[in-house]
Amino acid sequence: MNEGQDWVYSEIVKEHFMNPRNYLKGSESQFDYDAAGIVGNPICGDQMKMYIKVVDGKIFDIRWKTYGCASAIASTSALSELAKGKTLDEALKISAKDIDNYLGTLPKHKFHCSVLGHEALADAIKKYQEKQA
Amino acid sequence: MSLAYAICSVYNTNMIYLDYAATTPMELEVLDAMHEAELRFFANASALHTPGHLALNQIEETRETLARMIGAKPAEIIFTSGSSESNNTVIRTFAGHEIEVSPLEHHSIFEVAEKVAGDKRPKLFSYMLANNETGDILDLAEIAEMARQVSVPERSELFEGKTDFGKELVTDKRGAYVHSDLTQALGKIPIDVNRLGLDYATFSAHKIGGPVGVGALYVREGVPFLPLIIGGNQENKRRGGTYNTIGIVGFGAALKKIEKIKSIEKYDTKVRRLRDLLGERILKEIPGSSLNSSLVRGESLPNILNASFQAAEGESIQLYLDAEGVIVSTGSACASGDIKPSHVLMAKTGDAEVAHSSIRFSFGLNNDERDVEGVMKVLPGIIDRLQKISTIEMEKK
Repeated sequence: MNEGQDWVYSEIVKEHFMNPRNYLKGSESQFDYDAAGIVGNPICGDQMKMYIKVVDGKIFDIRWKTYGCASAIASTSALSELAKGKTLDEALKISAKDIDNYLGTLPKHKFHCSVLGHEALADAIKKYQEKQA
Repeated sequence: MSLAYAICSVYNTNMIYLDYAATTPMELEVLDAMHEAELRFFANASALHTPGHLALNQIEETRETLARMIGAKPAEIIFTSGSSESNNTVIRTFAGHEIEVSPLEHHSIFEVAEKVAGDKRPKLFSYMLANNETGDILDLAEIAEMARQVSVPERSELFEGKTDFGKELVTDKRGAYVHSDLTQALGKIPIDVNRLGLDYATFSAHKIGGPVGVGALYVREGVPFLPLIIGGNQENKRRGGTYNTIGIVGFGAALKKIEKIKSIEKYDTKVRRLRDLLGERILKEIPGSSLNSSLVRGESLPNILNASFQAAEGESIQLYLDAEGVIVSTGSACASGDIKPSHVLMAKTGDAEVAHSSIRFSFGLNNDERDVEGVMKVLPGIIDRLQKISTIEMEKK
C-alpha cells in the first residue's frame, strides 16, 4: 500500500518548523537590534515580531519571534533567511508570494493567515528609517 | 494478512495514540467479525432469499444489542452512516420549527440548525450529553424539564403522517422533543434513553472500536420523524439505501466488546486515573498551563483532557508532539482549516487565545501509565520552546 507523504506540509516547511533559523529565544534584550516591527494578533492565532540590525543600509542580522502554527513558524524562519544581507529597499520588496515560493507552496488556507512576517519586517524597516530621519 | 497488519500497525508501535475521541483503532474482534461477515453475509439484506435473510439476521442482532444497552426497543433503532447523518436526520425533521441547541454541539448539529430552524411548534432541543472536545457532561434532566414546559400546538404538519394501514404515525404529540448526541458518551458512561428523557439519540461505531461509516439513531416510538434519505423500504422506510451489513456487524462486535469487558467501569477507574494523572502533572510541571476539562467525577468524561498552554499555539504543539510519536488533537483554528478557533472552547472560556493554545488528549482502554510518562517526557520541552520564541510574554508568577 502506498502510504504517501506522512507530513501535512512540504519537507522544506517541516525543516523550517523543526529547525527554525534566526529565532530569538527568550528575552529581547539578548539581541542588539536597531528596530522591531510586529504584525498579527494572538486572538487570530498568529503574531510575528521581526528584529533587525542594520549596517551600511543592509540587514546585517535579523531575529524573530512568533506565536502561531507550524506554517507561521516556518514562514517567519524562511523570511529571516530571505531578508538577511539584503538592502532595506530589497527587503521591503519581499512579498508573501516570495516566502511561499521559498517554502514550496503552503496549503491555500494557511497562506493568508500565517504568511504575515514580511509585514512585520516592513514595519521594522519603517521604524528604523523614521529613527534615522 | 490484514489482521497481521493491524497487529503490527495499531497495537504494536511506539506511537502514543491519544486521539481516541477522534477515532479509535478497530478492535481485533471487530475486524474478525467483519471479515467473517464479508465472506458469509455479503448478500443484500433486503432480499427474501436465504443469504439475504441471514445477512438481515446479523443486522437485527446488532439492533437488539444496541437497544438493550441503551434501554430502547429494537424497532426504535435506525442504522445510519454515522453521527453526522443521525444528527442531520433529527435536525432536518424539525426544519421550519424552533430548534434550541447547546453552544457545545457538533458542527453536524449547529450548522444544520442555523440553516433550517424556524418558529413553528413543536420545538426541538438538541443538547449533547458529553462534549467531544472538553468531555463536559451536561445535565439533560434540566433540558427534559424545559421541554415538558412547552405547550403542545393544536395542529402541526409534523403530527399528520399516517402509516400504510391508516394509523397515525405520531402518537406522542408534545410541545417539544429532546435529542442528544451520545457519540462520545457510549461505552464511557451509563446511558439509558428513558432515564435521560430522550426522544432521539445519536450513536457512532468508530468511537468505540468499530468501523467508520456506520452509526445509529434512536427514535422513540410515536415521535415525529422524517427520513433524510428516501427511496427504499429499508429501516421500515425510515432510511433508504442498501443495508451496510458488514459495517453494522462491526458495530455490533464493538458493542459486544464494550459490554463484555465492562468498558464503563474501566473508563471510570483505569482510564480516569490516567487522565487525572496527566492533568495533574501538566498543571504541576508546565508553566502557563491550564485545564479546560474538569477532573471532578461526573462533570466530564473520564477519558478526555483538554489543556491550554499560554503563549504556545495548538497546531505547533500538536505537530511537535506528532514528531515525537504522540498523537493528539487541537482546538486551534489553524489545524482545522477553519479561520475561527473551536466554538466549544470559545463558549466555555470566552478567550480566543486559550482556544488557539488548546490540546485535547483523549484516552482509550489500550493506554497505560507509560503513555502518560511518554507525553510528559516531551511535552514540557515542546511548550518551553514555543513559549520562548513566542511574541506573547509569559505572565510572571
